[in-house]
Amino acid sequence: MGRSPAFLISFIALTIGATHALQGAETVWSGLVIAENVAQPQPMPPELTRIEGSLKKFFGYNQFEVIGQSQKTLKTGQEDWLATSKFFGLHVDARGETEAGYVLNLKLYKEKELLLETDTKLSKRSPLVIKGPQVGGGQLLLVLVVQ
Amino acid sequence: MKTFEEKWTAWVDGQLSGRELLEFEASLPDKAAAEAEKAGARKLGELLKRELSARTLTNEEFFSHQLREKIARLREAPARQAREARSTWWTIPRLLWTGALSLAVFLVFTVLVMREKNPAEESQYLTQILNARVDPVVSPNATVSIFEVKQDRVTVLWTEGLQSLPADYAAK
Repeated sequence: MGRSPAFLISFIALTIGATHALQGAETVWSGLVIAENVAQPQPMPPELTRIEGSLKKFFGYNQFEVIGQSQKTLKTGQEDWLATSKFFGLHVDARGETEAGYVLNLKLYKEKELLLETDTKLSKRSPLVIKGPQVGGGQLLLVLVVQ
Repeated sequence: MKTFEEKWTAWVDGQLSGRELLEFEASLPDKAAAEAEKAGARKLGELLKRELSARTLTNEEFFSHQLREKIARLREAPARQAREARSTWWTIPRLLWTGALSLAVFLVFTVLVMREKNPAEESQYLTQILNARVDPVVSPNATVSIFEVKQDRVTVLWTEGLQSLPADYAAK
């Protein structure tokens, strides 16, 4: 084999590999959000602007405040991480990647007490919102978005 | 040896002579009737020759005939071409219309297929809740439901009956 074909094949293989690696490395934003109705609502956190309309329409609150968050870049699709506030903790355990997104196991803790557990296929194009317990006059929401 | 019919034909045509003529005429049973028949046959022959022979054309008539035939051929040629052109179905306008029609049919089918395919693709790209559990000891009356907001492609896991917490728990 001459030099040119070998070089070309190597270049194509590297390009495909790099493209695949870039496609695979995606960031998942997970947040603990308190939704409330207040007289002077704060602006929507940037991570939630994409779904602002749905959040307001679905939950009926005018302010959404992030009390805990985590951003995790997934490389293997097998990582796990924790988003915490003072009293709540959201443990996310990624259990594999599919063409459409990631298989995740989510656990919501109140201090050390497990309140809720769910398994989900988080799509790269479709955010997930979980309605948690009522907190005071507001509502705890868990939000996961592939960025 | 000639038969009687051959000799009769030759006699009528005046082609018998000499001894053969004498012998044949002697063999005729009624010579007067035979002479009358011969005269009739000759008259008939002359009449047929006169009436059935092709009339010779004069020069003027010949050229006139040639010209008429040529004009007729020239007149017939465009008419034949037109007939041939008319008889062909795949004219250019018809080809264009057929192409446009085929394209339209293809587009209609494509749209129909895409419409049928889209819901499946949409559900594939929406987040799916595989299962959800609430601690029955902490929240015995809790229930979970799943909603999909297709406008923003948001999936919502809706819980009801979880234990309410005081406002202090909203702290960062």
